[in-house]
Amino acid sequence: MSDAQYLQPAFERPAEAAQQTFRAALRALAEPGLARPLPPTPPLERMAPATYALCLSLLDADTPVWLAPAFDTPLVRANLSFHCGCPVVERREQAAFAVLDAGDLADLSGFPLGSERYPDQSCTLLVQLERLDGGEMLAWQGPGIAAQRQVDLPLPWHFWQQRALHGDFPRGLDLFFTAGQALLGLPRSTRCLAPVREAS
Amino acid sequence: MTALHSQAPAGETGGEYAFAYLDEQTKRMIRRGLLKAVAIPGYQVPFGGREMPLPYGWGTGGMQVTAAILGGDDVLKVIDQGADDTTNAVSIRRFFSRTAGVATTTRTPEATVIQTRHRVPETPLSNDQILVFQVPIPEPLRFIEPAETETRTMHALRDYGIMHVKLYEDIATFGHIATAYAYPVTVDDRYVMDPSPIPKFDNPKLDMNPALMLFGAGREKRLYAVPPYTRVVSLDFEDHPFAVQRWTECCAVCGSRDSFLDELIVDDAGTKRFVCSDTDYCRQRQQETGQ
Repeated sequence: MSDAQYLQPAFERPAEAAQQTFRAALRALAEPGLARPLPPTPPLERMAPATYALCLSLLDADTPVWLAPAFDTPLVRANLSFHCGCPVVERREQAAFAVLDAGDLADLSGFPLGSERYPDQSCTLLVQLERLDGGEMLAWQGPGIAAQRQVDLPLPWHFWQQRALHGDFPRGLDLFFTAGQALLGLPRSTRCLAPVREAS
Repeated sequence: MTALHSQAPAGETGGEYAFAYLDEQTKRMIRRGLLKAVAIPGYQVPFGGREMPLPYGWGTGGMQVTAAILGGDDVLKVIDQGADDTTNAVSIRRFFSRTAGVATTTRTPEATVIQTRHRVPETPLSNDQILVFQVPIPEPLRFIEPAETETRTMHALRDYGIMHVKLYEDIATFGHIATAYAYPVTVDDRYVMDPSPIPKFDNPKLDMNPALMLFGAGREKRLYAVPPYTRVVSLDFEDHPFAVQRWTECCAVCGSRDSFLDELIVDDAGTKRFVCSDTDYCRQRQQETGQ
């Protein structure tokens, strides 16, 4: 494949689309559990439009990104480095952002969680799913939620174990779940009341 | 302003400025900081503050936040001590109408983004609004500990006892908590936060507010946030509970007894009148009562 074939389209109007994507992301994180639509963006190979839009809106030379094997293709690398200019890193410990899919949720170790003094120096995970509903119903509580919000993200139960393991507020991971053209936020401040589960 | 005019790069709006003045890379950096600020309510995120075309103390922190969040379809309101028509408010409103081409308003319910210096509007905010505060000193512990490394540690350890000592000293000296503005709060039961120099009258409005509240300190280069529907509790003692200011007078213009009042000396004899600090609220009430 020649270089010209590698290069895929990005935002049509970069400043405007980046702002709209950011505002949707800000709102998603400020009100966890509510799905937000994003402005129309083309997909990038296996990357759904919403995942790609978040990358285009938030990544640049200051943000090392870690790609899960499913997304780590020459095409994705070429386009992220062309449109965002972000370094793609091999080790999770170096990542400011990471792009994962549902299959990667069994192990969230290695990503920076921030320190007690600087909890903001933690990794933000972009997790691409097939859809943002249809899973087990959980009750979410915390900042951004008036009382309680019922959210049924289709996530394997070991994700919640991993999240509990890799988060000790204020340290922790902030997540954006994406599917198609929509996203949903799960900041570290949200308390998710998981159903009691017996070991099998 | 002419120098700025000629140096500004061609942007998407107006062709003279980058949209909302700041370049895209700077906006991305601030945006990433704001996302972390929202994820850790009340925690101060350091950011690479830029020089703005006005001095520190005139709202450079708030302006950088506003520039980073503003979009073409936003409606901006800017207030200074509650008023839409004071120098700071007028110039910031004009700045964004010129560099971003956004619509502006003085009416609180019509605004999608409200940048404020030292007040929370009296009109209740909605879930679709964002309130941007201009912050001079973001660190509530700074008065007792000048070293940033130490205050960082105090926040990390939740070592906030000193805040109560300060309030206690008030009681010992004056018989009541005399702190009237920038009254410290605890956000979501974790971080002690400076709500910016709003009167403590406005503190209860921060608690469980449906609007997203973002704070920007330009000189100190810090961002912090209170998401919507977040518990914000003013520090106090069981035997000296938190209380807001009350007036025996009402607003001389609209007659309100519920709003924050400014004291005016109206003649050489020292005659006092009180008027609403929130000019839009006062105007709304005048229209309602047909005055």
